[in-house]
Amino acid sequence: MNDLFIDVDYAQIYKDGQKIGGDVFLLSRNPENNQIVCTLSDGLGSGVKANVLASLTARMAHKLSFSPMDLTHSARIIMNTLPVCKERKISYATFTIADLRMLASDQVAMNLVEYDNPSALVFQGSTSVQWNVEHIDLQRDGAFKKEVLGHSLLTLPIGSRLVIFSDGVTQAGMGRSLPLGWRLDGVREFTRTQIEANPDISSHDLAQAIVCRAHSLDRLSAKDDITCMVVYVRRPRRTLVVTGPPFTKEHDEQLVQKIKEFEGKKIVSGGTTAQIVSRLMQKPLKVDMSCWSPQVPPCSMMEGIDLVTEGMLTLSKVATALEQKKPVRSMTNDAVKKFIQVMQDSDQVHFIVGTKINEAHQDPSIPVEIGIRRNLIGRLRKALEDVYLKETSQEYI
Amino acid sequence: MGKKDKVRVQICVGTACFVQGGADLLLYNEFLDPAVLGGCEIEGVSCIGGCKDAQSKERPPYVRIGENVYGSVNQEKLCKLLAEATRA
Repeated sequence: MNDLFIDVDYAQIYKDGQKIGGDVFLLSRNPENNQIVCTLSDGLGSGVKANVLASLTARMAHKLSFSPMDLTHSARIIMNTLPVCKERKISYATFTIADLRMLASDQVAMNLVEYDNPSALVFQGSTSVQWNVEHIDLQRDGAFKKEVLGHSLLTLPIGSRLVIFSDGVTQAGMGRSLPLGWRLDGVREFTRTQIEANPDISSHDLAQAIVCRAHSLDRLSAKDDITCMVVYVRRPRRTLVVTGPPFTKEHDEQLVQKIKEFEGKKIVSGGTTAQIVSRLMQKPLKVDMSCWSPQVPPCSMMEGIDLVTEGMLTLSKVATALEQKKPVRSMTNDAVKKFIQVMQDSDQVHFIVGTKINEAHQDPSIPVEIGIRRNLIGRLRKALEDVYLKETSQEYI
Repeated sequence: MGKKDKVRVQICVGTACFVQGGADLLLYNEFLDPAVLGGCEIEGVSCIGGCKDAQSKERPPYVRIGENVYGSVNQEKLCKLLAEATRA
């Protein structure tokens, strides 16, 4: 698994009264070469027309950036393809493309192409970083204005953030609280204070904070689509899930060693497994009777382990809830909710699956949900990877 | 006479016990006589191990009261067992 994680998320508020946005954000991950491409495009006008322009632009920019084609050539193709607006007799959409590739040296190489969007911001920790932008004049036939692309190559070390937004953010509050709007400097300063107040703020929360601030500057009635995207390069948050006793007793010690050595959050799922871990780590196990529901047995508490739950029932309910994308806030406060919260807060989940068969579960009178542990872990991993885009791995013991 | 020690009660919350009636026993606050409840110290336990004994005639859910393990416990049986245990 990678030792580096690129956290990308965006937040968006449509122009007041619109049900569809003229700002379009696209994100693709190519796991084969650890490449991530994110694109933000703002179409001319608002509503459906703008959305068509922006979607076309973003989609083309996105696809073309995965091809080896020259950048200026791609930009020309995009601009030549866009339909002409009936009222304004021009075809126009802005775009920003960030092409991120993980390097072996704990860094991310970024190829940033900007066209007419507000300039992107880069932060190293909470300090704003300045860099040189190469300006390319497109000189396209049929252009109605000077078309200049900004192109930059940057290396982002761990702890850096890239913030990209549409003009709805920089122009927020224009003519109201602020004569010329929030402007780039205002956004930069706000972002800096946000990161300073919470150095580990996730991309989701930061993008949300910026968008909400812009929205409130517009007195909660946005004058344009407000979109903000954040990329955060950081160490992955890891979680270990241990379930099932090892096939032979001799491996118990090995299992506990693995738990001790693991860096990150630790979950033990399974009554017998918890007892083995408790015995070998010499830490008492205490059942927490305050958190259970008729479907899920209670959690337990043990020093050194973040969450101790029952095994098969809990895992089966967790897998189902993940597959159905159930929102955490609507769940009852039981082991399943706690388990899912830990999963959602992780980037990489490693499973250690014990292969010992539990004789007590072979009784035909107990529910079918208690199936085969390996199948259940397969379901969990699939849901985590497909629905929540987490990295997972597993080993048997 | 000194204060009487509380009876230690452990209800198994392992999978096999929980699905075969153990969940009902966790509602002890609702069905136990408050006087009996006051004389007991009830806690959950991950697995008593009764379910793994193939020779046993008893079935889950299991409850340990003091040093003794009882099987096939339902709410009614738990009331009776605890009433006896707290009286003794």
